[in-house]
Amino acid sequence: MRRNRPVYILCLVVPAFLLFACRSSRKLTADYYYENEAALTSIEKAYASLYKQRPFSVEFIDKGFNYVSLMLQSNRIKYIYEFELNEPRLQDTLARYQMDSAAIMKMIRQMKDIQCVWINNLDYYVDEQKRSMIFMSLRTVPPRIPFAEKKYYILTFFNQPQFFDNQGRLLANRRQRRLRKIDDNFFQRINDRVCYTISERFR
Amino acid sequence: MLERATVQNTRIFKKCIALILCICMSGISTAQRERDTSRTSTRQDAIAFISRITELPQSAHWPNIKPALFLQNLKNNIENPLSLHEGNNTNFCAYAAMSYIPLQFDPLGFAKDLLQLYREGKVKMGRVNITPSSEVKLAAGRLAFKGELDIRPADQMWFLALADHFKCYLNIFDKHFDMGDENSFWAATSFGKFNHMIRSLFRYRVEAKGSDLIRPTIDHLYGYLKERVSKGTVALFVNNMSLYQKDHRQVKPGVGTHFIILKDIEEAPDGRINITYWDYGGLTLQQVTPSFLYRLIFGITFCTKRTANAPQ
Repeated sequence: MRRNRPVYILCLVVPAFLLFACRSSRKLTADYYYENEAALTSIEKAYASLYKQRPFSVEFIDKGFNYVSLMLQSNRIKYIYEFELNEPRLQDTLARYQMDSAAIMKMIRQMKDIQCVWINNLDYYVDEQKRSMIFMSLRTVPPRIPFAEKKYYILTFFNQPQFFDNQGRLLANRRQRRLRKIDDNFFQRINDRVCYTISERFR
Repeated sequence: MLERATVQNTRIFKKCIALILCICMSGISTAQRERDTSRTSTRQDAIAFISRITELPQSAHWPNIKPALFLQNLKNNIENPLSLHEGNNTNFCAYAAMSYIPLQFDPLGFAKDLLQLYREGKVKMGRVNITPSSEVKLAAGRLAFKGELDIRPADQMWFLALADHFKCYLNIFDKHFDMGDENSFWAATSFGKFNHMIRSLFRYRVEAKGSDLIRPTIDHLYGYLKERVSKGTVALFVNNMSLYQKDHRQVKPGVGTHFIILKDIEEAPDGRINITYWDYGGLTLQQVTPSFLYRLIFGITFCTKRTANAPQ
């Protein structure tokens, strides 16, 4: 009996482990959004407001969240620079491009706190009409699913309510029952305007 | 007697050699004359040509491309050539980068060729007869969720037709088009295929350094690129995972995966290098370190026009 104890323990632990692994990740990921809704929507609103002044995107290029890549769009060309977060060059550059450096620095720090890797504005088309959304990638997949290969939790914030099928999957538009792909991923509903997916890549 | 015979034989031999050389040289020069010029035209010529087209009937060959959208796309390409967009998450970057050449230097020829492809379902460009398959003809105009490419049916037609025609070792296992293959190996382009396409379609002189897997060995990369950019069109075969970081993996496959057009290169005062390149429908100025630039580039294609008087 004593000799078989490890086997019994394994028999109990392994199914419990598998049960945990098989929990509905959909519910957990939606919960993650609601638990951090204030921080996430604060970043989204700040970005949307700053983007109107000048189109830009921010990306953390290292795992330690110490270096950022800043993309600034002008009429003719987009500029991509890399900075250390505390480097004076970063604020100098923002000032040179006549951007609200205090507001952007605040947003970047909020991004770091919540491990947001990338924020960007993406264009998409519905019935040949151009629309845009805010695309936000977070470093950590909220439910720590064992052996999960997909590392990034991606949120999309649309300007208008979207259409979903009965499984909560994002559709191309009202008429078509075709699923919409964004950056090669299918998305799930969180609410009418916000969707999520879990991906191997943050863009 | 024997000596005189030897001298005579030598003379005859020399004459034969000279004759053969003459024939060969005339053959070469004729061949060179045939392929010695790259077509050129101006943007104004192309705009005037398109503005004369008042009505374009629906093509029976491309049932999902509306004529009005096709013409609008073509007009956009001519008026703003840098707006050409390969689409998000497709393998069309090589075809888009290559299209930079006709859009910049022969927009009229490009417009005529695309119109012929739309009207007749086939076209002869340079040395190549492009006859797209029926699957590709049905797919053009239906590609979706690719960003800007969604509303550019003429570009969809052009990219799909090129991917369908030109094949290399990367396409061995996926030669037949199915919907969704624009993201797969069906549309992939090796460095060799890219250079071959430019030579055969546009009759440009192409000098290529590098390969799919091994970086080119150039002593002073910055100086080399700077000099080349001032003399012709430079396309770079780069590692996309380095240029557009997509994850935080430490180990990344060291291969060329993406084509861009290098527009300018400058050394910044702090030793960094500013590269200005074209891809995804716009110009980008990116500041990089010299070591990053070295790691980034797997191939350099230098293209110049063939002119009748240019030295061969």
